[in-house]
Amino acid sequence: MKILVAVKEVASLDDDFEIRDDHLDVDEDFLLYDLNEWDDYSLEEAMNIKEASDSDVEVVVVSVGPDRVEESLRKCLAKGADRAIRVWSDEMEGSDSITIGRVLAAVAEQEKPDMIFAGVQSSDDANASTGISLSSYLNWPHAAVVAGLEYTPGSNKAVVTRELEGGMAQEVEISCPAVLTIQLGINTPRYASLRGIKQAAAKPIEEISLSDLGLSAEDVGAYASFARVRRMYIPEKGMATMIDGTPAEQAAKLAEIIKEYRGEL
Amino acid sequence: MNEAQEITRILFQGFQTSSIYLFYAFGYSAIAVFLYGCYVQVRKYRRGQPDSAWGEFLARFGDMVKTMLTHRTIKRRDKAAGKAHAAIFFGFVLLFLGTATITLEYDITEPLFGFKFWYGDFYLWFSLVLDIAGTAVIAGVLYMMYRRKWLKLPKLDYKRPDREPTDPDYDRSEYRREDWAFLWGFIIILITGFLLEASRLIWLMNDPTVWDYRWWSPVGALIANVLHGLGIGPEAAGHFRTGLWWFHGFIALTFVALIPFTKVKHIFTASASLMFRDPMAGRRLPMVPEDQEEIGVKTITDLTWKNLLNLDACTKCGRCHEACPANAVGAPLSPRDVILSLREFANNTLQKKELPDEAELDVHGKDIGQVFMETLWSCRTCLACVEICPVAVEHVPIIVQMRRKLVDEGNMEPILQKTLQSVHKNGNSMGESKRKRAKWTKDLPFTIKDARKEPVDVMWFVGDYASFDPRNQVVTKSFAKLMRQAGVDFGLLYEAEMNAGNDIRRVGEEGLYEFLATSNISTLEKCDFQSIVTTDPHSFNTIRNEYPDFGGEFEINHYTTVIKQLLEQGKLKLNKQLDLTVTFHDPCHLGRYNKGYDAPRDIIKMLGCDLVEMARNRDNSFCCGAGGGRIWIPDPVGIQKPSENRIHEAGEIEDLDVFIVSCPKDLTMFEDARKTAGYEGKFEVKELIELITECVEFDDESVDEDADAA
Repeated sequence: MKILVAVKEVASLDDDFEIRDDHLDVDEDFLLYDLNEWDDYSLEEAMNIKEASDSDVEVVVVSVGPDRVEESLRKCLAKGADRAIRVWSDEMEGSDSITIGRVLAAVAEQEKPDMIFAGVQSSDDANASTGISLSSYLNWPHAAVVAGLEYTPGSNKAVVTRELEGGMAQEVEISCPAVLTIQLGINTPRYASLRGIKQAAAKPIEEISLSDLGLSAEDVGAYASFARVRRMYIPEKGMATMIDGTPAEQAAKLAEIIKEYRGEL
Repeated sequence: MNEAQEITRILFQGFQTSSIYLFYAFGYSAIAVFLYGCYVQVRKYRRGQPDSAWGEFLARFGDMVKTMLTHRTIKRRDKAAGKAHAAIFFGFVLLFLGTATITLEYDITEPLFGFKFWYGDFYLWFSLVLDIAGTAVIAGVLYMMYRRKWLKLPKLDYKRPDREPTDPDYDRSEYRREDWAFLWGFIIILITGFLLEASRLIWLMNDPTVWDYRWWSPVGALIANVLHGLGIGPEAAGHFRTGLWWFHGFIALTFVALIPFTKVKHIFTASASLMFRDPMAGRRLPMVPEDQEEIGVKTITDLTWKNLLNLDACTKCGRCHEACPANAVGAPLSPRDVILSLREFANNTLQKKELPDEAELDVHGKDIGQVFMETLWSCRTCLACVEICPVAVEHVPIIVQMRRKLVDEGNMEPILQKTLQSVHKNGNSMGESKRKRAKWTKDLPFTIKDARKEPVDVMWFVGDYASFDPRNQVVTKSFAKLMRQAGVDFGLLYEAEMNAGNDIRRVGEEGLYEFLATSNISTLEKCDFQSIVTTDPHSFNTIRNEYPDFGGEFEINHYTTVIKQLLEQGKLKLNKQLDLTVTFHDPCHLGRYNKGYDAPRDIIKMLGCDLVEMARNRDNSFCCGAGGGRIWIPDPVGIQKPSENRIHEAGEIEDLDVFIVSCPKDLTMFEDARKTAGYEGKFEVKELIELITECVEFDDESVDEDADAA
């Protein structure tokens, strides 16, 4: 029995960040990397299943990304994941979430897990599509925004509770293997102590490249992606103003603003 | 006059040989039981982990003897109990020496060498001294009985704040029964001893070598006179004496046999605990050896033998219970109960012949004898318990070691997890960007040197609260101005400074602490400076006491010491005296942790303030509640916060103007408490630095004005 947990190292913004000169992304200097918050929950869900099970359950975490991603994978190992896989080739730079789904599907075909968990979305890009695209490439059933899970390792069905708008919940029975995208709050993620992270440094992280997966450069990267970033910017804001004063003063001020917009001043 | 040789007490006088054999058989069995008990106890301690406390044996032994002879620790905060204990202790020691002297002659020097010495003047003085000793013990025990029965001291109430009245281990009545059995046992041995002495005198009243010298045993003689006056003659007294002799011998020997199994063992365990006292306990927490896989205390055998000895040393005197700020506000923690819980746990598991399975040794949990997670998280590591313990029990290191396990397993408040993650990520506990650490310097009319780039005399380690918290930034800027005015060549680490780790370590996140400490040490080592100064007692403690374990040997001073020097040397001049009634709150990490009681008080006096002490001051200062990471864990609603408890204490001072603190966390905690406890408009909470700034003469007008505005 094996659960594959797809995780991502996300970037968060430092205060007073700056946008890169090419206006396609934030300047690397201002990015702080950490494991995506949703992935804490999906890993925890896998760990809970592992720890509650009488039979052996292997939890494998996988992430697509450059060297720095190892830090986040170590955190997962520190929390108790059995193995960690990092997939990377320079050609993968610029991949969109759909393409990442393709890469992860190739990993899943090799690992042959019984269940795949991913986070609902990543906190930086917020496409909420990696897990779904992964299920589509695998041609597996999927359930998105899972806020509750009843699953016994080895069984061919799982009951998931999906979170809907307006506080509604939907209970869904799903055939396994399946891909579930896990929502925040489904459990309480454990703390990875720094000592644990340090000890996890001794555990190996398997590295897999394009060719190991039987993919070619054309399958990945910006070239294979259907979407590409044109521009990143901070939209102007603050167009609303509160007008203080007595009703007469407010009216006068309002009249002034209208005149200004009409170009009469 | 009689021959000196004749003036003595004939042992076993009038006994048949078989009776003497019977007594010896009984005596040897008592000793055998005693020795077996000692063996069981030592085997229990040996089931703990190694501890390095054996070093400097002679110095430690000397300290222990001194502490015991002066009774210094037992007299603290309870003089009467200390004196009563001294009466019992010294009386008991003399009685023991007396018995040993008789044994020495009767069983060793006389049968082996034919040498006798227990007669004549020596015997008479011996009798007098032992009578006094016995009286002292009776007086001491009577006071102890009075104290237990009528004084109703809260510290002697064994009810547990961490258990419900319906829990089986809530009121610990078996301890109360043991206490009383001990007191009654003791007093009965002593009283029967005196009655025995008296009945022997009457029995032998026709023997002038006995009767003529009876007043050398004044208590016995007095009782003898009374009994004789009541009509008891030599024959009746002789019968009485025989019965009493066996009764007295029986309970005295039973008492000896029971020592290792009852609270009486504290005569050994408390002495040993005092001898193995670590003066750095809590101030310097234990490191985790490199090769050790597991961290913290999970099972009872994860404690060191010294910890286990500490547990047995506790005499339930309740001083820690009384001093603990968590207990004072009704949190589910009493340091006494942590120790007693663990002791009961150790006795139930480690006194067995075979060590139980590991699963049965887990000290964390909700069962009887186990320690609740809530209990451990209630501790503010203020060291009040360790500081006052008369027998050197070191509660805080044990609590932190247990927390290390909780942290390792993630058993903590989610909000604390977030803080720890943020400290790892940003190097500060405020969730702020690293870049913002020195942002406060931008408001200054001068630039502070970057100590990473140029040598300075004094390295200023600012600390998180002083760097990021807006209220504290005011103080931080004032301190910068004072340093500049005094002409001190100082600098900062700017963005490279990280949380010093003191509280992270006390939370129990040892890995993160190691990371912070080693990062700061390597940053500091790259800089050129003579000494460090800080306004933060927490950073002060860990850099001073704990960084050396990680290779960081730095001279560090708290600002109060530095400013006091600058004032005395005339480098800072006062142009104003403050006509204020003030009180001073000793920060735990400056006061109890590092004995920095005087410098702040000296400065306060130099400023002309009228310093009125709160009842709990100096070593008995009452923690603001922020220590041990509690500043990151919200206190439960509905119960009093330690800071409120403290501010009410200050509120009792008549016409108080200012509540002075000298710690950034205190400023935050007490500003809040002053508002929530309703003292706004009555008195102010100020950092000592602010008062100093008001009085110091600044050369540069703009700096001065700016300081006023601040």
